[in-house]
Amino acid sequence: MGRIVGIDLGTTNSLVAYIDAQTSQPKCIPGPYGSTLCPSVVSVDPDGSVIVGEPARKRLLTQSDRTIYSVKRLMGRGPADVQDELKLFPFRIDPGSKNVIRVQLGDRVFTPPEISAFILRELKNWAESFLHEPVDRAVITVPAYFNDAQRQATKDAGKLAGLEVLRLVNEPTAAALAYGLHEKQRGRVAVYDLGGGTFDISILKLISTAEGDIYQVLSTNGDTHLGGDDIDNLLQAFAHEQILQQHGLDFAARGELAQNLRKALIDLKHQLSQSESVTLRFPLPGGAVYVNEFTRGEFEALIRPVVDRTMGPVKRALADAQLKPEEMEEVVLVGGATRTPLVRRMVQEYFDRKPHTELNPDEVVALGAAVQANILERGVTNMLLLDVTPLSLGIETYGGAVAKVIPRNSTIPASAQELYTTGVDNQTGIDIHVLQGERELAKDCRSLARFTLKVPPAPAGLPRIEVKFLIDANGILQVAAKDLRSGEQRSIEVQPSYGISDSEIERMLEESIEHAEQDFAERQLIEARTESEAILGATAKALSNAPRDVSTAERAKIDSAVAALKSAAAGTDYKLVRKKIDELNAATQHLAELVMNSAISTALEGRKVAEV
Amino acid sequence: MSEGADHFAVFGLPRKLWIEMSALEQKFLQLSWKLHPDNFVNATEEERELSLKRSSELNDAYRTLRDPVARLEYLLALEGERKEGEKKQQAPPELLEEVFELNESLDELREAKSAGGDLAALKTRLASAEKNFGAKLAEVDGELQAVAKNWDAAIDANANDAARKKLMARMNELLNRRSYIRNLVANVQKELL
Repeated sequence: MGRIVGIDLGTTNSLVAYIDAQTSQPKCIPGPYGSTLCPSVVSVDPDGSVIVGEPARKRLLTQSDRTIYSVKRLMGRGPADVQDELKLFPFRIDPGSKNVIRVQLGDRVFTPPEISAFILRELKNWAESFLHEPVDRAVITVPAYFNDAQRQATKDAGKLAGLEVLRLVNEPTAAALAYGLHEKQRGRVAVYDLGGGTFDISILKLISTAEGDIYQVLSTNGDTHLGGDDIDNLLQAFAHEQILQQHGLDFAARGELAQNLRKALIDLKHQLSQSESVTLRFPLPGGAVYVNEFTRGEFEALIRPVVDRTMGPVKRALADAQLKPEEMEEVVLVGGATRTPLVRRMVQEYFDRKPHTELNPDEVVALGAAVQANILERGVTNMLLLDVTPLSLGIETYGGAVAKVIPRNSTIPASAQELYTTGVDNQTGIDIHVLQGERELAKDCRSLARFTLKVPPAPAGLPRIEVKFLIDANGILQVAAKDLRSGEQRSIEVQPSYGISDSEIERMLEESIEHAEQDFAERQLIEARTESEAILGATAKALSNAPRDVSTAERAKIDSAVAALKSAAAGTDYKLVRKKIDELNAATQHLAELVMNSAISTALEGRKVAEV
Repeated sequence: MSEGADHFAVFGLPRKLWIEMSALEQKFLQLSWKLHPDNFVNATEEERELSLKRSSELNDAYRTLRDPVARLEYLLALEGERKEGEKKQQAPPELLEEVFELNESLDELREAKSAGGDLAALKTRLASAEKNFGAKLAEVDGELQAVAKNWDAAIDANANDAARKKLMARMNELLNRRSYIRNLVANVQKELL
């Protein structure tokens, strides 16, 4: 069994965290560029290879038709759901099946879970490189307001990335865990989480009992279609309009140019958090320049509608928890977009208290996921999470109405039973349509799945089938049916309304094994070999520069360590290579000091170190 | 109800209608520590299934027993005595006139809305009707509390079947009345939004 990590699969950035064994504290793992943030961007090169993260982000500007960002906004959705957003995405949606989105990147076509899987795999690699251990299990966070299809898509992504997803944790709850650990809070907490593409508000109660601390979610609400991206979209639309007016250029159709402008506007947005005004100078094709001074006041007026939209869910969550804003003892801000001064002001005014921002709003969710991973591993047994399902579960009844069977904000796991019978003699199947949402009519709720109960032929009204609907700890629905007359379990065919079927996932998994990413050991060996080359090169260079200061005995030790390393690196045991690297490091410690001192004294003499 | 403990049994409570809330919460939190699936992630398939089943039973029981009305409805269902009104849409006789007036006002408001007419006077009338029915709802809740007390007393006194059935019939009547009035109030609130 490999290590377990916590992963924040975010709209804009993704992160992976672990528990530091020495401090028992969660920490984010840095990637090859030193940052703990992996931009949630995936690009496909002409030769078919897939690039993830920072290098992919650059391709947003140069190869925007084969690069995708914010794929989280497409997870668990059908093509009809995202028509509006397509205008702002330069990559193309394949007009394929009606319940799964397929994105075309270069010559290849992917579903959103496959794209998310590339990001998860990248994070898996980061973790394995850092921890020097296989990582095959994870806790992955999702917006609290994600529905069943969106959660299932996230689990599918984990599976495709070679990770066993032990739990999906709601992002605000994860943040509360991280803060709870950090601040030792008690009482009623509101978590306001405004990310790149999703908004969540959760109301929690932190209770201390004899057994430990309970993080109990009282209510949650949100908008899975609202976030920092919308702020960027407004800025982009504003700039496009100005450019059209002032320079007669229509930017909407210009993929790469528009992406360049978007990037410039995002940088400007960040600067406006620090300064009262920032001037943008953007060169246009044909030699003209788009110039505009953006003041913070104008910016806030422009984005006000987006921030105002967050208050509806906040009020509803408080109403469901039967609490008033002033009754919150703590308020926590999560998500990059909460760095916006307007957001901070509005939250502070509404709750009449200063919100917590001590933990990095970009990292806090991943840290919380690592804490939850630790709880699942029983590394910690004095913390308990009691989360809720955000949406009511209902069944379609006659006339297209919905009968709610599990109300929203029910603590999960939660279940409900319904009794079914046939209406016609010898009827062999009973259809059930399950939905999520708060509206009265099925057409206004989110279709989750259609189930067909298989029934043996019998006179109408005689069969008695009890169907149990269970929402598990991940917030995902399971259905089981029992024939009450025979006591047998009945089989159910499930057709999810959105998402990839199980058989298609299996096919994708098989294909990915064929185009296999190298497995853990192979990659470790490659990395170890690369490091050994570097240290062998440095050792050879140091020896050629300081032969006199090294004693014969020391030289013999170094030579022997070099030979041992070269021999190990030619083999296939990465652990042995690492061992020999450590031994060579130890043997050349004195040599390294000599080189260092020599470099310092040379520098002091005004000569360049490179000449040494 | 097929298998599994009933909600009262989950908490080790008798089938009585008065429950001390903070004790219920304590028990709920205590049992949550023991049963939650997070404790069983590395356990056997069987243990995981059992934990899922028992923790959902616990949560379902707590959800139902916390709410006095849900608790009462559940008790009736458990005793096999929950009878929703035969004609659910039928108004209780003593309310007929007021309900008639209310429906008239609602229709007028809907017409005025689509014709773009002046809504202020109509809205005021409906707001006061809402208040009126809100008060009736409170009355019913009071009566439900009273019959709940009687039930508990009957259980303590080991009352016979007939006495209990009589009390349950009264509970059904009150629940149906309550349900009807609640729907009325909800409809008014919708139109007043």
